[in-house]
Amino acid sequence: MLKELVKEEFTQDIAKGAVLVDFYSSTCSPCKMLAFILKDIEKTLGDQVTIIKVNFEENPDLIEEHKVEGYPTLVMFKDGEELSRKSGLQQKPVIIKMIEEAL
Amino acid sequence: MTATMVKEKIGYQFQEHLIEKQAKAEYAMLNEFAKGEFTMENPLIKYNPYIVNDLAAVILFRTEEETAITVRVKGKTKEGDFYHTFPRAKEHVLPIVGLYSDYENKIEVYPYQQSDKKVVHTIKTPEVAGAKLVESMDTTPEFMQDNVIFLCPAVNDFAIAVDYAGDVRLNYTVPMVWDIKRNPNGNLLLGSQRLMKMPYFVSGIYEMSPVGKIYKEYRVPHGYHHDQITLPNGDIVALNCDLDNGTVEDKAVVIDKDTGHVKRTITFSNFIKPGSQKSGSWSDEDWFHCNAVWYDEHSNSLTFSGRHINAMVNIDFDTEELNWIISDPEGWPEEYQQYMFKPVGDGDFEWQYEQHANLITPLGDVMCFDNHHFGAQNPDNYLAANDSYSRGVKYRIDTEKMEIEQLWQYGKERGKEFFSPYICNVLYYNEGHYLTHSGGIAFDGEGNASEELGPFAQLDDPNVKLNSITVETINDKKMLELKVNSNYYRANKFTLYAKDGNNLSLGKGQLLGSLGETPQMDYDIPAEDTGEMLPAKHEAHITDEVDMFTFESKFEKGQLVMLLLESDQETRRYFISTSKGKRGAMCTGTFLPDDDRDTRTIVTKEGLHGEYQVKLIIDGMKYDTGITIRA
Repeated sequence: MLKELVKEEFTQDIAKGAVLVDFYSSTCSPCKMLAFILKDIEKTLGDQVTIIKVNFEENPDLIEEHKVEGYPTLVMFKDGEELSRKSGLQQKPVIIKMIEEAL
Repeated sequence: MTATMVKEKIGYQFQEHLIEKQAKAEYAMLNEFAKGEFTMENPLIKYNPYIVNDLAAVILFRTEEETAITVRVKGKTKEGDFYHTFPRAKEHVLPIVGLYSDYENKIEVYPYQQSDKKVVHTIKTPEVAGAKLVESMDTTPEFMQDNVIFLCPAVNDFAIAVDYAGDVRLNYTVPMVWDIKRNPNGNLLLGSQRLMKMPYFVSGIYEMSPVGKIYKEYRVPHGYHHDQITLPNGDIVALNCDLDNGTVEDKAVVIDKDTGHVKRTITFSNFIKPGSQKSGSWSDEDWFHCNAVWYDEHSNSLTFSGRHINAMVNIDFDTEELNWIISDPEGWPEEYQQYMFKPVGDGDFEWQYEQHANLITPLGDVMCFDNHHFGAQNPDNYLAANDSYSRGVKYRIDTEKMEIEQLWQYGKERGKEFFSPYICNVLYYNEGHYLTHSGGIAFDGEGNASEELGPFAQLDDPNVKLNSITVETINDKKMLELKVNSNYYRANKFTLYAKDGNNLSLGKGQLLGSLGETPQMDYDIPAEDTGEMLPAKHEAHITDEVDMFTFESKFEKGQLVMLLLESDQETRRYFISTSKGKRGAMCTGTFLPDDDRDTRTIVTKEGLHGEYQVKLIIDGMKYDTGITIRA
């Protein structure tokens, strides 16, 4: 499942299962490319993983809380714990590997 | 006519490999020599025949008998002379190195032990770019003798070599970068000028002679950076990147000395977990930032300098198991504490931070250039640039007791004047005799040590002053200090004529190994085919080479751009980032563009077969370039 952040639900969303959070900016070209790749991954993995997109500029509190330093940044959570993170545009196999480590 | 109506192909040029250019130039030189009656008195003199060193030449002539020939490149003073005697031959093709810039250089040539028969030839040189960079050289001719200090580029000033008097005696005209080492055969090993991936990963390592002749390019898959070392069997350990994992500067390859092929890959995440330690310049992508590799025959081990983990990491060469880590233990996970050392000694001990250029001395001591950038593991204790210092340091380690003692340092006492937050090296000559090169000094227009690394500081502030200070000490007595007005990655000292080497071998150089296949973007973004040529406003240009091509173009920040290679059989896709990104490490800014809209995308020809049309997708619109790439 791929969805845009609903702030009130974020803590609850990442608390259970494998959740990949994409901190992105709408003005960043690698973020735009990554959006296509994440949609493709959603098609491949279906409900095995939840992908949440967090707009970097609109959510400074979450950026600070999760110590995100730039965009795009992918943070992989499992049951609320951060398992791994990658900065910059990543290829599909790298992202799949991140997710598989959390499944 | 609007820009989108322009139906012209984009710019294109085929750039021959330097080896190819040199082979043609050498062939022409030898052809001219073969057709003429050239004697010692009336030789053929070719200035800069190998294109890359404009303070060099070749003198060619014949003698009736096999004769050894002595050459004296006359210095501006007697102490500035360079001599070399070449082996017996009837045909003499003599490399002349160590010329001065903008000078009528006098070259004496005579049969060995017959100086009364000398003839003097004159080579007038133009003013060369590097000649104005030296601010001062403080040493004695007795100490330097006929050595030069060779400096490798870190910004837009290319390699130079400086003699005892501060005169530049070698000036490379192409940006060959990274570490310089001299092989036992007298040849130099230096990174190539062929950029393979921004910001500074280059195609490989040149084996070349000071006159400029390239004998081999050892191509390194996915780009070479920072450092290499030759193993006892002649193979080379070179640093590259773990692209499969989306990270950089965290891998090394062992390259066969004859074929250039990769015999083995060493992946650093197998012995250090990414994120175990984070220096002030750390990033997810550049988590290790390996800037040096050293092989120690006595312990059969490799030592890697990880700038972004504030550590020198030693592993067994065969098993790749961790032996030890030299690093401030604060903040390291428990599992690594067993590999850490406990400081002992008289209290002068300090750990190194964001260090460079580790080496192991013949006695087993460990040296490095301690940049001391940030100066702490804990961010709360980071030092500001104005309060910082850098130093050369030597540690003695006891791997049984896991104790470490600081034996020597040079540089702390000089404070920010000697502070380099990046690059630099140390060299060991003998016990007590060391070279310390602080090559990354930057001050802003107001005299403050720059918080930015030199290449960035230079781009952002026209008043910034870059310096490089190289010091040699013997038993703490300063024997040499060279100050140059630029940043230089590393320094080394040697004679331009190799005493035991060939100095110049004829014949075409070899292109060895492989560049690896450029990773494609594995997603096809939707686009509308405009049927039009790429608008001229993008100022696109392709530089084609034998084994790769470079696509350069301007885009606005945030545009979604993809380069396509279309053939009858397949379409290949390469993402072009239009984001302005700044790295925490920029160990050579030589390839940085002035305009941040400039993009540079390099695609190797490995995996390509036949002809490909080059096309571009910009924000969902597809354009042609009119260019065909052949592989």
